[in-house]
Amino acid sequence: MVETKGLGHAYGDIVALSGVDLEVPSGRVGLVGANGAGKTTLLKILLGILSPSRGSVRVMDADVATDPLEVRSRVGYMPEGSCLPLEQSAADFVAYAAELAGIPAKAARQRASDVLTLVGLHEERFRFLGDFSTGMKQRANLAQAIVHDPDLVLLDEPTAGLDPDGRAEMLDLIGRLREFGIDIIVSSHVLTDIERTCDWVVMLDGGKVLRTGPLSGLVETGVIELQVMGDPEPVATMLQAAGAHVELNDDTLFIEHDGAATLVRDALVEAGAGVRRMQHRSTTLEDIFLGNEPRPDRDAPAEVQTASDAPELPPGPGLAPLERAPNRKRRKAGDS
Amino acid sequence: MSDVGRGVVFDLGYKPHEGERLGQRGAIAAVVKDGVRRVLGIRRKARKKVIPWVLVAIAIIPAIVAVGLAIFLEGFAVDTPEALDHAGYFDTTSTIALLFTALAAPELLVPDRTQGVLAMYASRPLTTRDYLLARAGALSIVVLGFMLLPQVLLYVGKAAVSSDGFFPALGADVDVLGKVLVTALAFLATYATVAFVVAAFANRVSAAAAIFIGVMIGSNIMALILVETAAFAGSRWSALLAIANHPGVIRDWVFDTFTENPLSEADLPQVASLLAIIVLVVVGAFVVYRRYRRLV
Repeated sequence: MVETKGLGHAYGDIVALSGVDLEVPSGRVGLVGANGAGKTTLLKILLGILSPSRGSVRVMDADVATDPLEVRSRVGYMPEGSCLPLEQSAADFVAYAAELAGIPAKAARQRASDVLTLVGLHEERFRFLGDFSTGMKQRANLAQAIVHDPDLVLLDEPTAGLDPDGRAEMLDLIGRLREFGIDIIVSSHVLTDIERTCDWVVMLDGGKVLRTGPLSGLVETGVIELQVMGDPEPVATMLQAAGAHVELNDDTLFIEHDGAATLVRDALVEAGAGVRRMQHRSTTLEDIFLGNEPRPDRDAPAEVQTASDAPELPPGPGLAPLERAPNRKRRKAGDS
Repeated sequence: MSDVGRGVVFDLGYKPHEGERLGQRGAIAAVVKDGVRRVLGIRRKARKKVIPWVLVAIAIIPAIVAVGLAIFLEGFAVDTPEALDHAGYFDTTSTIALLFTALAAPELLVPDRTQGVLAMYASRPLTTRDYLLARAGALSIVVLGFMLLPQVLLYVGKAAVSSDGFFPALGADVDVLGKVLVTALAFLATYATVAFVVAAFANRVSAAAAIFIGVMIGSNIMALILVETAAFAGSRWSALLAIANHPGVIRDWVFDTFTENPLSEADLPQVASLLAIIVLVVVGAFVVYRRYRRLV
């Protein structure tokens, strides 16, 4: 869907993006990062509004540098903040937005009506946009972004300024876009919004890509948490003997191994222990972004570690160390 | 309970657009259409309609009255009124055009910029140049419309009262249409350029309108003062500062009439006004384009 190579952009002396290499598949993609991380700059480059200082960009198999109008005719954009003419009705504006994308006038009016219904503004479609609430304006903003039936829509901070109910409704709407055959790239600094709506994540920090990959691969740690009935030590010993990286924190075992589930099953049978609780340990984007991922070798108190002599395992695909900008504060493990 | 008579709601869901897409051409046409609607207040709140339609009425009604009067007086064998004179009628329409442009140009540019709508334009198959040309096109259609419509009424009215007969008179006087068009273009180019430059930098429609009128009047006063008081060599060329008077010089040139203004007082050649208008348009277009390139 989107491919960038060595992408860079600077505003004067301020570097907004540097060496961004991405290969993002179709689907629901979250672009996360703090304010100033380069999210909006990247979106504008994807639309061809900004020309990159270095590197190349392809969107939907079209070269943005040589054919920006082709890209824009197939992409929708919901900018951060309002882009609505306040003295125009919602129906007129959204129909105009469709005509601007090349839809003939009659079809544009029909699509405007349909899309405004879809975003929940059917009753209000003849009201002037200046009379809308913030939530209604955001819906109208989304409507103009999808009214021309784009293949891809870029949403820049779509929940900004919304109350919790409005935010939930907007996220539901965004989640539904994929059902309509529209791929999405959502930019946000609210990580829970991305976790809720996306299945692929690109993390930006200081203009560089921190991580990119499927959400499941990022939030799943590859670690199994296990609580057994009775003494966990024999189970831990057997798992270690089988080659697993095991740590014990209170009565919970943290097991890291490619075939951990099979090893756990065998160890439980051999030790004759019952299972009280067993689950994959997952983390959140916020923890990943702030460098607080729950890792057995970091979270478990030193005095109860029982696997200090176990061989160090290479990190899994979702556990690569964070390469971060020097100006970002790093929270210590255990900080709340 | 029977289901007979119960309404059923069908959720048709999202329907993809499978019809024609007009691309850049359609986008430009849409901006022009929106611009015409906006300056005339069509599909806008009632207060947005009042001023443009009052100005349109002021521009056209005298022509209708003049033609009506000419037809009426014909029966009494009285000379047709001077208001039927094409060059003279520009005195009325040019003033109306000045006021209309003062309001319309900022209405076309300022809200898009201050309300963030440019971000939406930037996401469509449209370049900055397309957007600006389309906005200028919208203004041109409306301004030319109400500068030319009364002139066409006069042209038809004069033919109607001509002793040579309607159709022969139309044919005999056809060259006046070209003169009218050239004059109207001169007024449009001058007014629209200055108004667009002001609107490109102003943040309020009313402020832009006031500044535009101030520039047009102020530059004429300054030119007049310089022409009458400056004593340096070539000081008469400072009359070129009288921006608002250049279209009038073109009108005098085309219709072979004379109007007293700083330019005629300085005895500048008429071609100087033509060159001044061309330079003004080129520089103004460059300034507005540069301004909008930085905004996206």
